[in-house]
Amino acid sequence: MIEFELNGEAVRTDDDPNTPLLWVIRDTFKLKGSKYGCGAGLCGACTMHVDGVASRTCTLPVAAVANRRVTTIEGLGTPQDLHPLQAAWHEHSVPQCGYCQSGQIMSAAALLASNPTPSEAEIDAAMSGNICRCGCYPRIKKAIQSVGDTSLAYNAAAGREVNS
Amino acid sequence: MSTVNVSRRKFLGTTAVVGGGLVVGFSLSGCSRAPLPIEKTEGSLVPNAFLQITPDNVVRFYCPRDEMGQGVTTGLGTLICEELDYDPVNLDVAFAGVHSDYGIPGAGIQMTGGSGSIRAHYEQLRQVGADTRALLVEAAARDLGVARERITTADGHVLADGERHAYGRFVATAQTLTAQEGAPLKAPSEFRYIGKELPRIDSIAKATGTAQFGIDVDIPGMHHAVVVRSPVAGARLKSVDKTKARQMPGVTHVLEISSGVAVVAEKFWQAKTAAETIEPEWEDAPLGAVSTQTVRDDYQAGLQTDEGLVGPEEGDLDAGFAAAETVVESEYWVPYLAHAPLEPMNAVVKLENGEADLWTGTQSPTVAQGLVARFAGLEEEKVRVHNAYLGGGFGRRATMTHVIEATELAVATGKPIQLLWSRADDMRHGVYRPASLMRIKAGVDAEGHLSTWDAARVGGNITPDSIENLLPGLFPGLDASTVTWMAGLSDDLTKGWFADPSSVEGLHADYDFENLRVTHTTVDHGLPLTFWRSVGHSYTAFAKESMVDELAEAAGVDPIEFRLSNTKNNPRLHNVIRVAGERASRMRPGAGHHLGFAAHHSFATDVAQVAEVSVSSGKIRVHKVLCVVDCGTAVNPDVVRAQMEGGIMFGLTAALYGKLELENGAIRESNFHDYPILRMDEAPEVEVVILDNGTEPTGVGEPGLPPIAPAVANAVYLATGMRVRSLPFDLEASRVEGLSQWRVPPRDPFWPHSGRV
Repeated sequence: MIEFELNGEAVRTDDDPNTPLLWVIRDTFKLKGSKYGCGAGLCGACTMHVDGVASRTCTLPVAAVANRRVTTIEGLGTPQDLHPLQAAWHEHSVPQCGYCQSGQIMSAAALLASNPTPSEAEIDAAMSGNICRCGCYPRIKKAIQSVGDTSLAYNAAAGREVNS
Repeated sequence: MSTVNVSRRKFLGTTAVVGGGLVVGFSLSGCSRAPLPIEKTEGSLVPNAFLQITPDNVVRFYCPRDEMGQGVTTGLGTLICEELDYDPVNLDVAFAGVHSDYGIPGAGIQMTGGSGSIRAHYEQLRQVGADTRALLVEAAARDLGVARERITTADGHVLADGERHAYGRFVATAQTLTAQEGAPLKAPSEFRYIGKELPRIDSIAKATGTAQFGIDVDIPGMHHAVVVRSPVAGARLKSVDKTKARQMPGVTHVLEISSGVAVVAEKFWQAKTAAETIEPEWEDAPLGAVSTQTVRDDYQAGLQTDEGLVGPEEGDLDAGFAAAETVVESEYWVPYLAHAPLEPMNAVVKLENGEADLWTGTQSPTVAQGLVARFAGLEEEKVRVHNAYLGGGFGRRATMTHVIEATELAVATGKPIQLLWSRADDMRHGVYRPASLMRIKAGVDAEGHLSTWDAARVGGNITPDSIENLLPGLFPGLDASTVTWMAGLSDDLTKGWFADPSSVEGLHADYDFENLRVTHTTVDHGLPLTFWRSVGHSYTAFAKESMVDELAEAAGVDPIEFRLSNTKNNPRLHNVIRVAGERASRMRPGAGHHLGFAAHHSFATDVAQVAEVSVSSGKIRVHKVLCVVDCGTAVNPDVVRAQMEGGIMFGLTAALYGKLELENGAIRESNFHDYPILRMDEAPEVEVVILDNGTEPTGVGEPGLPPIAPAVANAVYLATGMRVRSLPFDLEASRVEGLSQWRVPPRDPFWPHSGRV
């Protein structure tokens, strides 16, 4: 039995400890926002935050998150209560097929949490682990830049950490 | 008999849609009496197949085409909302089930591709919106006791005598009226939503992880399946030891299906882990003797024969070359490619009480329905298709082996099955963009006219392989041998009778040739082929626009001037070249950067691109792309821009990295480490200029792709003096292979601002 915190709630699972966190989240906890793209940590579609750090969960055994904090896209914001990055994604019409966007936003949220006003090179460095097959990169970059340090103010007001 | 007739109708329609250039399709109106696959809310109005309006004024749009990122829900929703007078932002969109009313107008079946959705539905959905609005106005006139002429509409409301009433108030009365057809449409000057940069309808769902893709479907009792397939396409199973896999945790079934050996378990990871213990032996297959070098050698031999089929032929080639001042001949090679949509293939099939439900993201609900019907032994009307968002399509999701597999497993196990392909499965067991070897010999006369063009292509044919994959779903009632015979017919036709239009499209177009010939030689090693974003144009534009640059240089003419003076008969293409050229002359590339140019007409749309490129230590870097597009009316200019951006990135991935290598018939690549996709740090800035000429909309999803590879190749030449005639760009390998050639870089640059000193 492995226990961890999922989007602010204590959860436990008796899945095989070697099961990648992604599949525990999707199949056991039925949160489908985090996606499977490559199964090898190469595309970033499965990105979640583990103790605030953007992590590729398709290769991360669930055992590795025992007693740690896991945040998925569902924990970042909802359609009724958008995270500033999610609002920026809408404003810049970033998504095309949309399949990679949960992972893109989780990577971007972790970046802004540690670096509220990243340079273009810093955005490139933080986001280059996330593939977008539709080629939304210019819009992703603009959306991140548009949020800038306002995300800190927003989240302070909402009483939560940016990267939870 | 009726099954046969319906299927025949579908088949003829399909060839017109998916075959690109085939012209045998014709339309028969469906007029199906089958009930609409719509769940009607109590008290709501369903005036037609596309709309449901509730008393509390929710307008739900049943989108007849599939959303794979191209923005079709936003685009088609905008068309219907324009005439309905309803803000598209508030539109509730659902994907239509299978019904003849949702077929492509003029083609009949439900299929999304060919950059054709806006074109096909531009009239139809505006008319649906206008007729529905007229119905609501009539109901309002009766309910309010006001003359129709004194009623106007806006934002989902009826305005009468200074009062504002939601449409929903009138749906009860509207249900009692007979809907009329043919309400007048707005003039473009009255458009409120068409032509405006409205936000995408699906962006909030996709930014919050709440958009449901096929892979996200989860139903009670669902079991998960993974299939182990032969590394060589077409090889049959010889033997397999299932003992170990059967003993693995969670595994409920290990069984043989048509495509390989399937493992079914309670959870996906259990199925996948157990599948890794299976090591089947496979029979030999013809493709097993083939490697990439075999393909290239055989294509090269094919190019030397004089046995190619002659396609379009005009004028007199010999006379043209005799009169030419400048003659250039070059060969161009492109490899096999995978589509690699980020969401791997998947499907959920549930069989219950003689009926079936299929959940999947598909580019053809009609074919998907037929496949489930065929492999579950049901009538088509017993199969409900629940389409989902597609995590990328690009042509890949019209071929649905995964639907067949899930159906076979649901039949065999009696359980609802979710089947999921791994990334490696997608890379190695899919359907592919064909490799191609092309040769162009062209002549320019003393006046600078590109008078003579002799083009040849060698490779497999796209259309017959695609038809072979679609037929079993289009003709679920026909026995397998007849389907095989029909597929063979299509194959024979393109091998022996006429060049497959999809395979040579774009190789012989756009310029004012007086003497023209296209020849095609089929050399097909058996790797299954299909449509890949922009289809034949994905490689013919590379050959054509590289050759045009070579000719311009040989003739001593600026490449843009050369294109302008040779596109007098194509005014729309001429215009995008002109505008791109003017803008290029104002670009100020950085030191060591060079500008390459290309233009191409595809899917009825004209695009010219300028790529700003540098080459350092053999590494090609694309800094910026200027893209000028004429797609008629841009229904949503921001979506058009996004599709140009996306087409450029997709084409750049192919130009810089894309190749699949065959080793003993097996595809070597398996994942994004050896089949790289362009990443953010390599993505260029893109500037899109839309020339909206006010005519009917033309294609957008694909036309942004074809010009980018030649635009970059032409810039690479200026940067290095090397004509790269092989994709993906590999400067070192190209030199060794001899397909490319070194020259002293031009001292007198064609580009006044190319950065060359």
